[in-house]
Amino acid sequence: MSEQTNIDDKLGQLQRAEVPLLEVKDLQVDFTTDDGRAVHAVRDSSFSVYPGQWVAIVGESGSGKSTSAMACLGLLPGTGKVVGGSIKLNGNEISHYTQKEFVNVRGSKMGLVPQDPMSNLNPVWRIGTQVKEALVANNMDVSHEKRSDLAKALAKADIEIKSEGDETFLGSKQLPELLEAAEQALVAIGVEGDAFAKKMEYFRAEWVPGSETRWRVADDLVKAGVKADDAWYIAKKYVTGSSMEDRIAGLLDEAGLPDAATRARQYPHEFSGGMRQRALIAIGLACRPELLIADEPTSALDVTVQKKILDHLQDLTDSLGTAVLFITHDLGLAAERAQHIVVMYKGQVVESGPSLEVLQHPQHPYTKRLVAAAPSLASQRIVSVEERGQDASAIMEHKVNEESLEKADTIIEVSHLTREFKLPRTKDMFKAVDDVSFKLKRGTTLAIVGESGSGKSTVANMVLKLLEPTSGTVTYNGSDIAQFKGESLLDFRRHVQPVFQNPYGSLDPMYSIFRSIEEPLRIHKVGDKKSRAARVRELLDMVELPESVMRRYPNELSGGQRQRIAIARAMALNPDVIVCDEAVSALDVLVQDQVLHLLNDLQAKNGLSYLFITHDLAVVRQIADDVVVMQHGKLVEHGTTDEVFLHPQQQYTRDLLDAIPGGKLELGLNLD
Amino acid sequence: MTDITKPLPGQERYVAPLEETPLQTVDTVDESATATSMWSDAWRALRRNPLFIISSILIVFIIFVALFPGVFTKNDPNYCTLDNSLEPARPGHPFGFDLQGCDVYSRVIYGTRTSLSVGILSTLIVVAVGTLIGAIAGFCGGWIDAVLSRIVDIFMAIPMLLGAIVVLQMFRTITSIWKVVLVLALFGWVSTARIARGAVLSSKNLEFNTASTALGSTPMRNLFRHILPNSLAPIIVIATTSLGSYIVSEATLSFLGIGLPSTTVSWGGDISNAQSILRTDPMVLFYPSVALAVTVLAFIMMGDAVKDALDPKSRTA
Repeated sequence: MSEQTNIDDKLGQLQRAEVPLLEVKDLQVDFTTDDGRAVHAVRDSSFSVYPGQWVAIVGESGSGKSTSAMACLGLLPGTGKVVGGSIKLNGNEISHYTQKEFVNVRGSKMGLVPQDPMSNLNPVWRIGTQVKEALVANNMDVSHEKRSDLAKALAKADIEIKSEGDETFLGSKQLPELLEAAEQALVAIGVEGDAFAKKMEYFRAEWVPGSETRWRVADDLVKAGVKADDAWYIAKKYVTGSSMEDRIAGLLDEAGLPDAATRARQYPHEFSGGMRQRALIAIGLACRPELLIADEPTSALDVTVQKKILDHLQDLTDSLGTAVLFITHDLGLAAERAQHIVVMYKGQVVESGPSLEVLQHPQHPYTKRLVAAAPSLASQRIVSVEERGQDASAIMEHKVNEESLEKADTIIEVSHLTREFKLPRTKDMFKAVDDVSFKLKRGTTLAIVGESGSGKSTVANMVLKLLEPTSGTVTYNGSDIAQFKGESLLDFRRHVQPVFQNPYGSLDPMYSIFRSIEEPLRIHKVGDKKSRAARVRELLDMVELPESVMRRYPNELSGGQRQRIAIARAMALNPDVIVCDEAVSALDVLVQDQVLHLLNDLQAKNGLSYLFITHDLAVVRQIADDVVVMQHGKLVEHGTTDEVFLHPQQQYTRDLLDAIPGGKLELGLNLD
Repeated sequence: MTDITKPLPGQERYVAPLEETPLQTVDTVDESATATSMWSDAWRALRRNPLFIISSILIVFIIFVALFPGVFTKNDPNYCTLDNSLEPARPGHPFGFDLQGCDVYSRVIYGTRTSLSVGILSTLIVVAVGTLIGAIAGFCGGWIDAVLSRIVDIFMAIPMLLGAIVVLQMFRTITSIWKVVLVLALFGWVSTARIARGAVLSSKNLEFNTASTALGSTPMRNLFRHILPNSLAPIIVIATTSLGSYIVSEATLSFLGIGLPSTTVSWGGDISNAQSILRTDPMVLFYPSVALAVTVLAFIMMGDAVKDALDPKSRTA
């Protein structure tokens, strides 16, 4: 049996012996609206978290998953109130706690990693100060390690801890002396040459002030061959406790921030999104809570960064024995990371159980629906209603599209497109898009994939002629769009339409839905009042929204509904090309699935061509015929969807594919 | 050894009964709800605000008085005989007479028209000029914005009353109320311009402008159809709140004797005339002061209520 399974076994035994760390039973949370009505945000929900376990709560937005977690922390927003059920932490009822009592539990017993790394760090304070705040608020001893009982029990077998003082941290002042002593000890036992250099390098990397303890230093020395007594002597002499600064740097280092001591003196705006999330993880774990509540910790980050951060968080919580209550909307992520999964829908738990079992054999219709809509790697290109009806066998082999791909003529051609931006306060130019060429064939979908900052949206804006390229050309039906002016530009606008990412921003809040959809018709002076109204009705029907929506305003509709309105607006003038800039990225899986199907049906019906910009490779599989992968403004890979997915040529593409959460798992085995 | 593949106690497989968790169609539209635009939302919030109810009753009353002073008094405010000098109140003359023997009640009634027209006219001009300049600055950006913003800064540096006094001194011979209106507007437009510039700047960068450009809309069309309507709320708020302050400024200027000529009935002028007899006959000063205070209060209350209703922070998207 391997070491890992040994530890897993032991963990299982230990968990079985204990009561759940967090036990939520029949929880009910109500919010009161302005006119005094009670809204039941969470109804009769039960779930439990055992020490050292990852439990995922999955659901769409508004399902009550965050509310349940916040209720456990006593951090319900606004008028939220726990009105029934019980929340037990280590067997103690905490649902009736006052804010004052909650203060004692938060931080030290339960930590939080919030959702949005951009707004959850105070911009006027240094990162280090914000970590310090967590330590000071909980009176943490910064010179000694605090470990959970579970971590101790798990580690006991390998290492003998001799006295309390052995959990003292290494300080930065003593580090040079310690390294020197270690060097001498190694020389004394006759380690030389390469082996010596390697060991010293290992020590330098491992012995981080404020994070490495005396017993670990001793253990490292023993493992390097130093005699136990000597090793303990050196460790005792030089590992004598860390200062606040050391501990802060140590915590940031544990969270995976390189060069932590320098980073601690920086401000949040100097950090990227991923680094901020790491800092928030450091803060959440600063006081060694037994339970970490991670509320969609990576949903604002790129997939590759998400993977790195979650891998690191998993290692860290495993070694600390911290349990994690992981809230996510991403089924793949939940299946990959958590042992136990809780599916919530409209404030209720609809299904729960071991995560793989639940997701492979979903039983509740809602879970089935979720699993079916999840854009995991296994999914195929969506086949439109019409095609499904026509020629089922051809579609099975995906022939229709490949044939049409071969013979289709080019509608948009981008060649050697480059766009530079001037960097503020310097004379340097920044190449956002660097020599990108591709062709979009009529009636097909070309996806541009890349992480944030890869220049994909800049390409979209140049194709839409909202931004002029520095060099290179975009041609539409053979004519260079740079030449379009006045009449011809209006004509181009009529044929190439955008759908933007943010369904909240792309509709004017002052315009009724009718006016929004009618706007393109008015601009292009199409028809009279009556025929325009008829066209709006027709368009609403096309995107499967009821006519009554016409009189509404955007703020009354959900994100998916707004996105459908945006699609209806784009369709108003019967365009040839629609540029979808992250058009489904902000939507819940089910709604995303619905919008993707809609886009696909429209394509089949009207022969549209899509330029589909996205960061989500899984979605690409569902909608695209051709894929262009971009990184740092350059085109790295270009091929048909199947080629790119089955035989990725570039390392970057492979990394992207690997980072798709749950990509390797087969979900929904019992679905047809 | 226990089987570790078995779920832990309390974590067994659970599937909720379907009857208790009915499934709804994905992303349905609630067709029963009534349509709420930003304005109808604001109106609903206003209607429930007692501040708005009180102030609008007052303002409607004040406007009525200004439009039809004849309904409230039959006396001519400019008919003054020294026979009546400082006579106390008597039937038909409820507030008594001032030093010149004019009827205080009718002067208070007729003064309403002056104050209100100065307040409303100044506000209209300020909003028109301020919004136009602010919108041009915010929309064009670049050097146009830089030049206009510096001009705004220069005007900001001049205290309104001091500037008004200096300018009015130069045109003492003109007797029209437009003189006061234009001077107040001259020094008042800057704050509106600043607000308008900020509002235009923030709504200029919203995605729906890009969306409508891509639909074929021109920048000018965007400005008038999308950006300005979305910038109106803060402009309306500042307009209602500053209306009261223009009325106060007019009264102050008239009080100082450089505002409206003494031939025009105005509260400020009457307060000024009454101050010399404050010790002996305080009531002559009291009535126009109360009228002024109530009017200004009504408009400031209205401004507050409108601000509450339109404040973007209190509105959720």
